[in-house]
Amino acid sequence: MATRLQFENNCDIGVFSKLTNGYCMVAIGGSESFYSVFESELGGVIPVVKTSIAGTRIVGRLCAGNKNGLLLPHTTTDQELQHLRNSLPDQVVVQRIEEKLSALGNCIACNDHVALTHTDLDRETEEIIADVLGVEVFRQTIAGNILVGSFCALSNRGGLVHPHTSIEDLDELSTLLQVPLVAGTVNRGSEVIAAGMIVNDWTSFCGSDTTATELSVIESVFKLRDSQPSVIVDEMRKSLIDSYV
Amino acid sequence: MPRKPRRKQRPKSWPVTFSPFARALARMASVSKPNRRSKSIESSEKPTRSSTSNGSSKHTLEERPEGSESSDGEFDGVVQADFAFFDPKPNDFHGVKTLLQTYLDVEEWDLSGFADLILEQTTVGTVVKVEDDEDEGVFALATALNLWRYREQRCIMKLKEFLLLKASQEKGVGDQLRLLLGERAHNVGLLVSQRVVNLPPQLLPHLYDSLFNEVSWATEDEPTEDLRNSFQFKHYIILSKIYKHKNAEQQKRKRSDDREEEIVYVKPEDEIFHELSSWSFCFPLRTQQPAPHELKNYRSMGLIMTVEADKIPTFRQQLTSLINEG
Repeated sequence: MATRLQFENNCDIGVFSKLTNGYCMVAIGGSESFYSVFESELGGVIPVVKTSIAGTRIVGRLCAGNKNGLLLPHTTTDQELQHLRNSLPDQVVVQRIEEKLSALGNCIACNDHVALTHTDLDRETEEIIADVLGVEVFRQTIAGNILVGSFCALSNRGGLVHPHTSIEDLDELSTLLQVPLVAGTVNRGSEVIAAGMIVNDWTSFCGSDTTATELSVIESVFKLRDSQPSVIVDEMRKSLIDSYV
Repeated sequence: MPRKPRRKQRPKSWPVTFSPFARALARMASVSKPNRRSKSIESSEKPTRSSTSNGSSKHTLEERPEGSESSDGEFDGVVQADFAFFDPKPNDFHGVKTLLQTYLDVEEWDLSGFADLILEQTTVGTVVKVEDDEDEGVFALATALNLWRYREQRCIMKLKEFLLLKASQEKGVGDQLRLLLGERAHNVGLLVSQRVVNLPPQLLPHLYDSLFNEVSWATEDEPTEDLRNSFQFKHYIILSKIYKHKNAEQQKRKRSDDREEEIVYVKPEDEIFHELSSWSFCFPLRTQQPAPHELKNYRSMGLIMTVEADKIPTFRQQLTSLINEG
């Protein structure tokens, strides 16, 4: 099921939160209603952790993680690192990395098996990603954009990418990631997918400007309705691509 | 899959770039150059007025052209821009919404609905954009919304609640505001004017001219009598932001060279509106942005004021002379 919400009148909730199959991180300082939506959807299933990163609220864009691990930028303070290590489950490896591209959430898109990264990421960082997150790493661009973490939302069951991604790119990425992909938008036409929504294998949260059409695309590509055969995803993909051609 | 042994991490000493020069160097060296356009504009201008047809007026402001970014790595910060005024279009949704983000301070309200409302009213309302800009960024917005016509909208109801709540702390004003928002709302217009901080002030007289002209044209051109009457504004309510001196209460100006003003207006026309207003009051804002150095003794506050519609011609005159002398 996909839920719509906002963070202080801002529909870019993927900036202020991070969702994986093992945990959820939420920025501090937002109203209690933001936090309580997560609590009611996820409470009891996975921990919902309130935190800041580098003293900022943009936690979704600064960190990258999956159920195996969490990578934090070098600007993360020691207290924040300790707080996250204490609050997250023991099997999640929390690691702070020295990487000049410190907005890891914008540079890395990952699920539990595979990750797409910014083309200029350090070799070392690539190895750490493979190590800590337990994924296979691919340097890619999406619709010509190197900030792969911003322009795609990925789960183990599907992915939503920048609306201008070509059919060839979609096929290529789909083969790499081994999940069905759809090019689409969120928050009423916004191309920055990962800023507008967060998703894991059973639930998703989107900004409140997201239209009903966008929401139904999200629910079907990420198989959140639990009854979507791949045929329907292919049908949707055809009709979406027709409108851009 | 067996885990690879962890390598020792060499801490990288990355040069910390604080100066604009170093930033420009870093930008040149990086593989992906962001397509950044600075919005600071030189002051020389030649305003050209194109013929105004009913409802859609276009004014362009020519600015002196400057050297391009890539020529020598130094970015001077001056760009040529032609501003044009447009009627609100549905495409402008995101730009308008961004400009209105802090309109009601930190209140959670139907901001998207408010933006939609402004965009639907194409007869009165102006959006300032750069001509031929692919990004279609919205630089400024001006409109007047009749508070009776839209009284059923969630966003307007929440806005009225907000205004009344802030007024309840002020003596005397609350009742007058309640009248304006309630019984007299037929003739009350909410004047919404938001812009990017560095919009050239030379555009302001044209912006307000086009807004008030549209209002008077609408009283003649709207299809139904109700709509025509709805633009016969007698009062305008304005919600704006100012900086008030922290020690405003201590008006002991012993030193004759005390240059500090009591109120600093973010928008220059607010000073004129404030003088011409029937009543006004300030309230503290919860969003406290870090103030620039010159304003360190000031606190940002919200300002609500109401101006009679028959004072508008005076306003227009005073605004023109203020901008031309400044």
